[in-house]
Amino acid sequence: MRTLDEVLATLQIAKLNVDDLKPVIHCLSFGENVSSGDYCLMELDDTLCKHIEAGKSLVIRGDKDEHAVLCSEDKTYDLKIADTSNLLLFIPDCKTPDHFPEDLPCQNLIQSQISGFSSSYWELRRCRPKVKKLKKLLMDNTYEGPDGENEKNSTEQMYSTDDLLETIQASEQELLNQLQVIHACKIEGYWRILEFDYEMKIMGHITQLVDSESWSFSKVPLSVCLEELGPLEPKEMIEHCLNCYGKRYIEEEAGEIYFALNEDKLCRATAQMLLQNAVKFNLSEFQEVWQQSVAEGMTTRLDQLKGLALVDQSSRPETIFLLKVEDLPEDTQERFNCLFGMREKWTEEAVAPYIRDLCGEKQTIGALLTKYARTSLQNGVKVYNSRRPVAT
Amino acid sequence: SPGEWMLIELQGEIESRQNTGLAGSLMGDLHYTKEGVPVLIVGHHILYGKVVKLEKPFAVLVKRSGHQEEDGNAMETGEAKPSTNYQVTALIKKKIIFKTRPKPIITNVPKKV
Repeated sequence: MRTLDEVLATLQIAKLNVDDLKPVIHCLSFGENVSSGDYCLMELDDTLCKHIEAGKSLVIRGDKDEHAVLCSEDKTYDLKIADTSNLLLFIPDCKTPDHFPEDLPCQNLIQSQISGFSSSYWELRRCRPKVKKLKKLLMDNTYEGPDGENEKNSTEQMYSTDDLLETIQASEQELLNQLQVIHACKIEGYWRILEFDYEMKIMGHITQLVDSESWSFSKVPLSVCLEELGPLEPKEMIEHCLNCYGKRYIEEEAGEIYFALNEDKLCRATAQMLLQNAVKFNLSEFQEVWQQSVAEGMTTRLDQLKGLALVDQSSRPETIFLLKVEDLPEDTQERFNCLFGMREKWTEEAVAPYIRDLCGEKQTIGALLTKYARTSLQNGVKVYNSRRPVAT
Repeated sequence: SPGEWMLIELQGEIESRQNTGLAGSLMGDLHYTKEGVPVLIVGHHILYGKVVKLEKPFAVLVKRSGHQEEDGNAMETGEAKPSTNYQVTALIKKKIIFKTRPKPIITNVPKKV
């Protein structure tokens, strides 16, 4: 440990005048474990800093073959190592003059230990949660009702929320949001996706009931649905489907629960059911069958199919085929490669539904297209094509 | 809430003089001038620096292996077993950066200290 005499002697050799200096001196030395590499630095933004100061936790997620991400309760960040050419020492006990006590009568030595050092640190960048994996995991063991095939002696892995958090690189809030988007539901503590046909069967029961009871689509009573359809399907499933395809509300007077069915979602699901049976359809024939297939009183529109189906306007006659955005690559460059591989030129209107989910926190579709595509004019219309050669 | 540490940023590398490794050895004396300018005496050099508030604060993470049930600022990896925990040990909001070229200290006469 350095003594005051040693410190003053060093000052003398260095030709520094002790009177020009403040009377607080830190004698720095390396701690015992300084080289063990157990410490590292991570750059924070304001939000995360406040998060940590509030005592909230952060989690690092990622398998060995994935890039690690950092998750707070509701946000996900990419982790990247930033190298500096400098040496960074971190020291627990080191003050700046603004924290020195006033008017010290004589020199004060503080023996400070350097806990660790590094020349690199982790950088954080807010990113989209990597949730594509979620649907894939849950599709391995879809739910078809209590008597379904998958329920009998299934050896397939089932996932609770915690299980999913172990393997999906997303924050808990983002995970729960995505589970809602894919219409997953918790059955006996495990998250399950309904087999699409099963889901549509239940919705078929519901819309038939709406029709026979002459209800308005925007006022479907939960209790009657459960009573009338309970004999056919589990009540939890009926309620789950109502939640997926409608908005729940409570009627002021009687305190009854109602659902306002979302026409667009129902028409869209019906279209999916039709389109998944063939490679492509004659557009006008499809539109006719589609309108006939939806419940009485609902109106089908092509814009209900954004991100689900694509119209080929170059073929004669025009055709339509299933193209689900969730089946496309998650990585931005890969997504664009895939889209341009399918079709050389896209209008903004056609491509927007297939790239909207790629937009960063404050990024617009236009900005995304500017970055990843090149524009040209085709028949007076602005179209986008790939910046690089893509195999079609 | 984790404590606040200091960061000192130096150019170049630090080597231990006797090849015994750095652990436990002295590094240098940190002074401040009356105007508050940090002065670091390391080996045979004097370095003048600046206190800078970090645009983006740092978290100091310490890696812990094995299963640990930590409360508060625990961070865990998603891997099953064995698990690696990263704990936020401290925050760093300002640094002392020494950028000027070190002035060598020339000693002609060895002085008994």
